Amino acid sequence: MSVFPALGPLLAIAAGALAVILAEAFFKRENKDHLAFLSLAVLLVSGWLAVRLWGRNAEAFGGTLRFDDAAVFLTLLLLAGTAFVVLMGMRHIVRQRMNDGEFYGLLLLAAAGLVIMVSSGNFVAVFLGLEVLSVSSYALAGLKRGDERSTEAAAKYFLIGSFAAAFIVFGLALLFGGSGTLELTEIAAAGTIPLLALAGLALVLGGFAFKLALVPFHMWQPDVYEGAPTPVTAFFAFGPKAAGFLVLLRLLLPYWQSGFKKEAVFSVLWAVAAATMLVSSLAALRQRNVKRMLAYSSIAHAGYLLIAVLSKDASGLLFYLANYLFLSMGAFGVLAALGRDGVERTNLEDFAGLGARFPWMGGLFAVFVFGLAGFPPTGGFLAKFYVFSAAVREGHTALVLIAVLSSLISVYYYLRVVVFMYMRRSEGEEAAVDFENPPLLLVLFLCLYGVLQLGIFPSYILTFVRRAAESLF
Amino acid sequence: MIPAGWFLSLGLLLFVLGIIAFFVKRDLLTQFLSIEVMLGAGNLAFLALARGPAKVEAQVIVFFVMTVAAAEAAVGMAIILLVHRRRRSIKTEDLRTLKG
Repeated sequence: MSVFPALGPLLAIAAGALAVILAEAFFKRENKDHLAFLSLAVLLVSGWLAVRLWGRNAEAFGGTLRFDDAAVFLTLLLLAGTAFVVLMGMRHIVRQRMNDGEFYGLLLLAAAGLVIMVSSGNFVAVFLGLEVLSVSSYALAGLKRGDERSTEAAAKYFLIGSFAAAFIVFGLALLFGGSGTLELTEIAAAGTIPLLALAGLALVLGGFAFKLALVPFHMWQPDVYEGAPTPVTAFFAFGPKAAGFLVLLRLLLPYWQSGFKKEAVFSVLWAVAAATMLVSSLAALRQRNVKRMLAYSSIAHAGYLLIAVLSKDASGLLFYLANYLFLSMGAFGVLAALGRDGVERTNLEDFAGLGARFPWMGGLFAVFVFGLAGFPPTGGFLAKFYVFSAAVREGHTALVLIAVLSSLISVYYYLRVVVFMYMRRSEGEEAAVDFENPPLLLVLFLCLYGVLQLGIFPSYILTFVRRAAESLF
Repeated sequence: MIPAGWFLSLGLLLFVLGIIAFFVKRDLLTQFLSIEVMLGAGNLAFLALARGPAKVEAQVIVFFVMTVAAAEAAVGMAIILLVHRRRRSIKTEDLRTLKG
């Protein structure tokens, strides 16, 4: 069988990324919109090629590249997320004086890394995808070169990210020595020298905990999210987490069946999930910067996603990620709309009176933070409900109690922004929303639509989610 | 022939030294160097565990890891240079504009 069907989405996006970078290098133009449209076209083509792989279980290179339904589903989510970020960035990079076409090229390269991660059957290919993503992400975080905060974010991200990569490499070596295979679905469960494989698994999980910012390895994330340009932060909040958790699920599903010392690994991850939810929610309470607060909120959401991994709930994980795409992109999109020339307005005080001055924008932001907190009728409620009920069915009631407690704490800090928007008068210079930004408004509209569609009429998407989840078992 | 266990032990030693150096040192460049030592240790462990004709795939991985290290170095050096240009210092304790 030809390799091209399975290779298609990846080939399109990688070639597109290189084309965008070359176009930036050779056709110096002040207006970079043509690069944005090229990127959107590339994402569209790649998405179309991915849709055609649905239900076909296409493989290439002896199973190293494997597009099962879960990979197709997540690829589509990731491409949609990247398209949202491109649209969000079109005006933003001009207004924030970082008008470099590299934004689009690096974004597409990072998206290629994400697609490699979700569609690989071999752990080394997953690692390479992770590094393609990470190296582009370091550069993306530091894209606003004249800004001290952006460079600081890039430096921190780079240092912690490559430290974690070294852990993953060493752990992979030990896993390979212990199990004699590099297949993602076999590596953790097979064990000719179980103790060596266990040590390797511990190092790999530690590396992933760094990359996914699980407590106690989360300290870098608020700094990076705060310093990076807002559209880039939106990308960080969704892409790496979605791909990383699918990899964790693929790695651990067979391991929960027959792994060596699986109870010990389970209880360590149980504790990590509990700590991730509680620590991040408590830390978010004392943030005065909304972008930083959303960074802690994304750590908390990683904790909820880890519950889905622990309770083998593939469909819950995929549905949660579909929701989280719209919620996080929407929330960061409103933040991006508040920026002015060269300055990002992300403090809590900047939101004061926003609801009265810009009712539409305030209402949108309220919908997104209510969704993140898990209120009906948004999709955030259903997503949490599915994950928690699956965990209760598996008997992890204590973990669910901690998760509910953390959600309750989170309601306080989400509501505080809403209170600022509707019940405070702004003092000093008022933050203004620039409505001459059609691409961003399009993103916000699509996110609103997605949140409500998944919350009120979820059955359509749920059939796809269930089929995608079945392909993982 | 030197047994594989010796190579693995050397790799482990280098890895631990890299971790210690990462936490003890206080400037970006040296910390980056200690990460490179850790990646080298990973490569050594791969080679130690991949001895034998059936395990060629693990020896190929070493080349991939080297490529990754080179790409990280390219972007990392650029970032460190950028930090130095803005602040005239690459000490990590000077990187504290972002906190909360």
